[in-house]
Amino acid sequence: MSHGLSAGAAGRPGIATPEGPTPTDEPSLIADPAHGEGPPRTVSADSVRRSSRRLGSLVAPALLFVVVIGTWEWLSQTGRLSRFVMPAPSGIGTATISLLGEAFFWEALRLTLVETVLGFIVGAGGGLILGVLIGEVKILRKTIYPYVVLFQSLPKVALAPIFVIWFGFGTVSKVVMAATIAFFPLLVNTLTGLDSVNKNAKMLFMGYGASRSLMFWKLSMPEILAAVMAGMKTAMTLALIGAIVAEFVGAQKGLGILLERFNFQLQMEMAFAVLMILALVGLLLYLIVDVIERKVIFWKGHPVE
Amino acid sequence: MGQQWGGESQLATTPDELGSAVLLNGVGKTYESLSGSVDAITGVSFDIADGEFVSLIGASGCGKSTVLKVIAGLIDHQIGDVTVLGEPARPGRREVGLMFQAPVLLPWRTVRQNMVLPFEIFGEPVDDTIRNRAAELLNMVGLSGFGDKHPWELSGGMRQRAALARLLVTQPSVFLMDEPLAALDELTRERLVFELAELCERMKQTVLYVTHNIAEAVILSDRVLVMSHHPGRVLAAVPVTLPRPRTVELVSSVEFAEIGQEIRRVLALADSEAAVQ
Repeated sequence: MSHGLSAGAAGRPGIATPEGPTPTDEPSLIADPAHGEGPPRTVSADSVRRSSRRLGSLVAPALLFVVVIGTWEWLSQTGRLSRFVMPAPSGIGTATISLLGEAFFWEALRLTLVETVLGFIVGAGGGLILGVLIGEVKILRKTIYPYVVLFQSLPKVALAPIFVIWFGFGTVSKVVMAATIAFFPLLVNTLTGLDSVNKNAKMLFMGYGASRSLMFWKLSMPEILAAVMAGMKTAMTLALIGAIVAEFVGAQKGLGILLERFNFQLQMEMAFAVLMILALVGLLLYLIVDVIERKVIFWKGHPVE
Repeated sequence: MGQQWGGESQLATTPDELGSAVLLNGVGKTYESLSGSVDAITGVSFDIADGEFVSLIGASGCGKSTVLKVIAGLIDHQIGDVTVLGEPARPGRREVGLMFQAPVLLPWRTVRQNMVLPFEIFGEPVDDTIRNRAAELLNMVGLSGFGDKHPWELSGGMRQRAALARLLVTQPSVFLMDEPLAALDELTRERLVFELAELCERMKQTVLYVTHNIAEAVILSDRVLVMSHHPGRVLAAVPVTLPRPRTVELVSSVEFAEIGQEIRRVLALADSEAAVQ
């Protein structure tokens, strides 16, 4: 393992200034940070340059968007593309606006969101707690972990029909499906995180006589947060998939049902509108977790070393 | 297993001498693996007098870190006795301070918060006395004004200075240092090695310093223990009779070169022995 210097440009000693330290009458470990080991230089100029570069990087995808949508619209308008296969972008736009005015749409959106978020909380929370227990308690790791691995290889969505039988056509079966599918990323990431807690830091804590619980709360827990939050991002997206799939299998309401119904009635513009809204919902949920991650893990990208 | 001193180098002190801060007597540690057992260290005997700076030098994988961890009580040994300040080695003693090759600073804590971590582990309230001491030490290691920075805002050398400040803040009587300068660039390392020498001279500090750098060992130590590998044992003790304070000028002296040569000679002996086995 290499430390310190591997931290990148910021960790490298700065350029030494010609003048030395202001002389003090204290002999001691005199160290003037300006002399060889300065702090990393400020990044304000860098960040300005970076944000303008980010703006520039939007040009290419925007151009692609215009070209693809333009071609698509042209193909539809000239009758080369059947509206039952791919409705025109303009048609989808109109359908989306009309959909947003419908009370049944908002009811469906509300229900699917509730299923997704509840499933996420139950599944991700359960995955985190079980991950910590398996990671920290040896006997649990030995007994439960093999079954976790076994169960993980099962395509979870295949359970949806069974969940409908067990928990009915209502909200519960959707929440259970979303939770089941959101559970594993948290479990796996928590376990991996606990396994890779810095060995030197563990030794330092042990050297000072830290108890296991103190070591968990002051070292392991903050250190696995990055892995946990990464798991949460995956889990949030998966929870939405779980809820939609469970709705497909058997439900009365929800965005999945809406999509299925429009599809069945060959209202393709409406179906695509729902699809687009689902994508936006997924993105929004992901971004919420992403913002929380940024706020919580302010040291992101800087592991214990 | 008895002592296995080699070469003409003398054993500076006998292990049962009174006033030893650290005392190892015939210490052996064996690792069990699937392919059988491996002797990490065997028959390691030496002592460190109160206020003495002792370096442990040897090739990578010779077990010098194992010796340090055994003394720190971080790993168990099967054979022999390890006494630290009159008591068998065990972890969690505040008289013993640890420092590693990596600074091991927690990135979610500021430098100051990292410094008071030991007291949180001890379960002691962080009062003004400790806070003031932390501030003084930050000043001493050249990090005044950096107390509220996070470790990742500091350079490698500054991070290791912060680790040194954390070691000092609990006022341990024995320092156990495992290659604390090995990860630094050459210029920073040279600065820090002389600063460390001066600090330990001033504090009359008892130190066990693990390194694979001959110059570092000679600059810092009163005595250099040379370890062989496979299995790791102490082959010779080379006394460093250079005057103190140790300064940069010392490095170009004939005596400095001679002591370095002697250490190289014993290290070569260790290599040839390992080759025979």
